[in-house]
Amino acid sequence: MRDQERGRRRGQGKLEAQVLAALREASEPASAAWVQEKLGGALAYTTVITILTRLLAKGAVTREKVGRSFVWTAAADEAGLAALRMRRVLDKESDREAVLASFVTGLSQQDEEMLRELLTRTREAEE
Amino acid sequence: MGVFVFLPLVLPLTAWPIARLAEQHLHPRAATWLLSAVAGVFAVCSTLCLGLLMVVGTAQLPGNPLPDGWSDPEVREAVPYDEVAGKAAIPALFAVLAACTRLVWRHQRVRRRAERALAGLPATPVAVLPDEVPYAYALPGRRDRVVVSTGMLAGLDSAERRALFAHERTHLARRHHRFLLTVQLAAWANPFLRPLRTAVTYTAERWADEEAAQAVGSRRTVARAIGKSALMSRGAPVATLAGFAATGPVPRRVAALLRPAPAGRIWPPAFTTVGLAAWGAAVGTTASALSSANSAVTLFLILHAATPM
Repeated sequence: MRDQERGRRRGQGKLEAQVLAALREASEPASAAWVQEKLGGALAYTTVITILTRLLAKGAVTREKVGRSFVWTAAADEAGLAALRMRRVLDKESDREAVLASFVTGLSQQDEEMLRELLTRTREAEE
Repeated sequence: MGVFVFLPLVLPLTAWPIARLAEQHLHPRAATWLLSAVAGVFAVCSTLCLGLLMVVGTAQLPGNPLPDGWSDPEVREAVPYDEVAGKAAIPALFAVLAACTRLVWRHQRVRRRAERALAGLPATPVAVLPDEVPYAYALPGRRDRVVVSTGMLAGLDSAERRALFAHERTHLARRHHRFLLTVQLAAWANPFLRPLRTAVTYTAERWADEEAAQAVGSRRTVARAIGKSALMSRGAPVATLAGFAATGPVPRRVAALLRPAPAGRIWPPAFTTVGLAAWGAAVGTTASALSSANSAVTLFLILHAATPM
């Protein structure tokens, strides 16, 4: 059960990337039906809508109302989408510092002054 | 088991001197290994003894579901101050187990979420994400990856970028997340082990810095990369009490890289301060292991004798 759930969620990350990739191939704002067709009809129409809505929440696509339905435009590429998602992970996890070893950690005022001095010394030594 | 069962709870104090001195006097690789191993052994022994105390504690609970022999006077007398210690051990053990479970669960959650965030990207060892906020992380997983933002790369020249990647690759290649998880679990298992967590968090970074310096062939380049990214990443200054603030980890790492490379020796000479500290921790660890083994065997024998088979 747990594994299935996990697999499904990981799958969603991939689906988001696929939908975004399809949308990026459109020369003009595209409808959800167009995206569905572009993906070979493997996804249900409602699934496409769900994924587009999720991408909208992340800021990876924009939409505008044309007539009675929406047309969608890609606002980011796959790397941009990953960046938006990564930021959410980093912002959400208050204790991420404990989990992910960060290249650098916070500086106090005193640290900052000392660091600037050390860097100046490095530069002088090289000149 | 007597007083021996309490020893592993306080013996972690014998590791404080080495936790303080290792950073200065040992190679960061040796320091990370030594402190993590010491923390791991202390944590296991301390938790085992809490468990033993809890067994004695449950013998006093009215209507406990255990066999009658469990509450025999002999069992209770195995521990001095059994009433207080036994009762205190029950919530303490539960708190330790809950905190450790939560920590492991969080670790896995962050790793899973990060992996999911990168789904759909080509499976390259480095993922460069377009983001102005400067960050760089090593993400261990089924597929190890270095994640770095364009904001971070923009502030570094090509040699400094190589240093950054070499640093993050060392974290992954040397499985630093396992050391960090070990000391974090240990710090929850026994609060006296917290200085070891702080020390290992630092020495693991130093270890990655040293290997990066070897990989790029210049200690100064690594020092500059760290310094520049720290100045880029600084958000609000970290709140510290002015005057009391010890120098933070970043300037210490930079300063260490501007000094000559540390000697690669594993164990310090015995008759130096750091040597004595290392031996002190080693003796403390052994005593802790022996005490908890002694207590476990004693309690087992008492219970075996008290329980009619």
